[in-house]
Amino acid sequence: MHNKYRSRFFINMLFLTGAILLAIYIHITNGTFDMSVKDIVTTLLRMNPTNEFDLVIFQFRLPRIVIAALVGLGLGIAGTVVQGITRNGLADPGILGINAGAGASIVIFMFFFQMELAVSGSSNWLSILIMPIFGFVGGLAAAILIYVFAWTNGKLDTQRLILSGIAICTGFGALSLYISLKMRESDFEMATVWMSGSIYNANWMFIIAMIPWLIILIPVIYRKAHLLDYFQLEEVSIKSLGIQVEKEKAILLLSSIGVISACVSVSGSIGFIGLIAPHIARQLVGIHHRYVLPASAAIGMFLVIFSDYLARTIFAPAEIPVGIIVAILGVPYFLYLLIKTKA
Amino acid sequence: MGTTVIRAERLTTKYEKFTVFSNLSTEIKKGKITTIIGPNGCGKSTLLKTIGRILKQQSGEVFLQEQDMKGISTKAIAKQLALLSQNPEAPLQLKVEELISYGRFPHRKNVGTLSSKDMEVINWAMDITKTSAFRTREIAQLSGGQRQKVWLAMALAQETSILLLDEPTTYLDLAHQLEVLQIVDRLNKEHRCTIVMVLHDINHAARFSDELIAMKNGEIINVGPPEKIIAKDVLKEVFHIDARIMVDPENGSPVCYGYDALPECE
Repeated sequence: MHNKYRSRFFINMLFLTGAILLAIYIHITNGTFDMSVKDIVTTLLRMNPTNEFDLVIFQFRLPRIVIAALVGLGLGIAGTVVQGITRNGLADPGILGINAGAGASIVIFMFFFQMELAVSGSSNWLSILIMPIFGFVGGLAAAILIYVFAWTNGKLDTQRLILSGIAICTGFGALSLYISLKMRESDFEMATVWMSGSIYNANWMFIIAMIPWLIILIPVIYRKAHLLDYFQLEEVSIKSLGIQVEKEKAILLLSSIGVISACVSVSGSIGFIGLIAPHIARQLVGIHHRYVLPASAAIGMFLVIFSDYLARTIFAPAEIPVGIIVAILGVPYFLYLLIKTKA
Repeated sequence: MGTTVIRAERLTTKYEKFTVFSNLSTEIKKGKITTIIGPNGCGKSTLLKTIGRILKQQSGEVFLQEQDMKGISTKAIAKQLALLSQNPEAPLQLKVEELISYGRFPHRKNVGTLSSKDMEVINWAMDITKTSAFRTREIAQLSGGQRQKVWLAMALAQETSILLLDEPTTYLDLAHQLEVLQIVDRLNKEHRCTIVMVLHDINHAARFSDELIAMKNGEIINVGPPEKIIAKDVLKEVFHIDARIMVDPENGSPVCYGYDALPECE
């Protein structure tokens, strides 16, 4: 009885892969410095490489695209998990304050260890590797606070989860702002751009810093994806089936926090991806989380790569933080969802 | 008398600060249909959920086949005991047979595919509950009565010898109430399932149960066969009503055919 879903899934994944490749193609060829596909292929294959092509591809565009892809993937997955365990289609890691928690923690890190130092050159790669860990601590702090406020009668109350999330999000946002105001001017600018979600200062170091988190945590989440299907039932039925609800939810939530922290530490807080991607995924492949999860990851990838292309080119040579582009695309979709759920 | 399959000893269960019952002890006999009756808020659902380890008791023990349930993994319990929730919910786009297949969770080893044994049990559960006809429909397309039978089928797919049902007939029309209870009866008679349920309708309780547990204000007032519980004095104490009772000439069980409220003062 699963064959129909499976073929629908594969067709959609094929389509999404195509969309991602197209977005990558547009991103890598277009810009202030236009290149043809032939230039790119020959450069990538190291056939008569030139310095300027190398610089544009390997130092500027490719790391950006890879980071955009990984961040989109991570946020798409984390969003699916958060919506799945809260049984709330309007939940998203951003709304729950996890992004903000990770963000505040990283701003504190920047304040003490000076962002400028951290990103200039690979000499200080240690601090880049430490950033996701700081992010994780902040994300975890946010999650613990959410648990403290939303935990009633030995279980996680979904209504209170969302409400306390909004409060925590605002609180951490204020903290980040306060600390960034105390920063030196140059750090402050760096921090604000980073907070609004940007990846233009991407380099390979960031990618190395975030990849272990994704490689370890995404398989953990994927192995538990089928449980998200059961979590769509109400509490009593899930428990009756012999599922250790709170333990499994905690594992899934912690893994997602890890993924989100890795994303936030390299790109700042890019909202809405975690909200939109799972919705589109469900429309494409149905409600089974073994299919929704990869589809949402692919949609997240596409959205962030494409948005970053827009962020880089719309007002070229000036850059807009990609988070703002995503928000411009995301806010109407969020409102549309609100209206649709009301009807 | 039959052997005891579930034994609750000195149970105390609380909701936040409110104690629903304390030091409650009771026994459920193997192979029987036991029904808990009592007024709203008397703790009957809470007792059922505590026995079914959905709610954690503050103190006291529940023994399943003479084994303390705290020492058994929740998955292992799910192979012996299934509980049908009072307000079950599922995504509306879910297909009937998929929802029923969820009942196989405690038995499944790999998550991807259902074994032939799984399919066999799912088909059996659909046969008994007469839900095969709409197996490929989505939950959204079902009536309330059909939905309840599908949920019952999911509990049956757990393949347990004990079934706990929390108000399985509430919100159903008369015909569907009877149909659900007849399925329950058949499970008990033909498949020797032990049934514990909470019912509001005392006539249904009398007709389909071997044993009744009457509760009020978190205490068990009386336990016994329907003839003993559906009696003027017990109903007066439990429900505070003046009941008129006769014996149904068709099936021999006691029936409350009318009642009046007793004056408020004691």
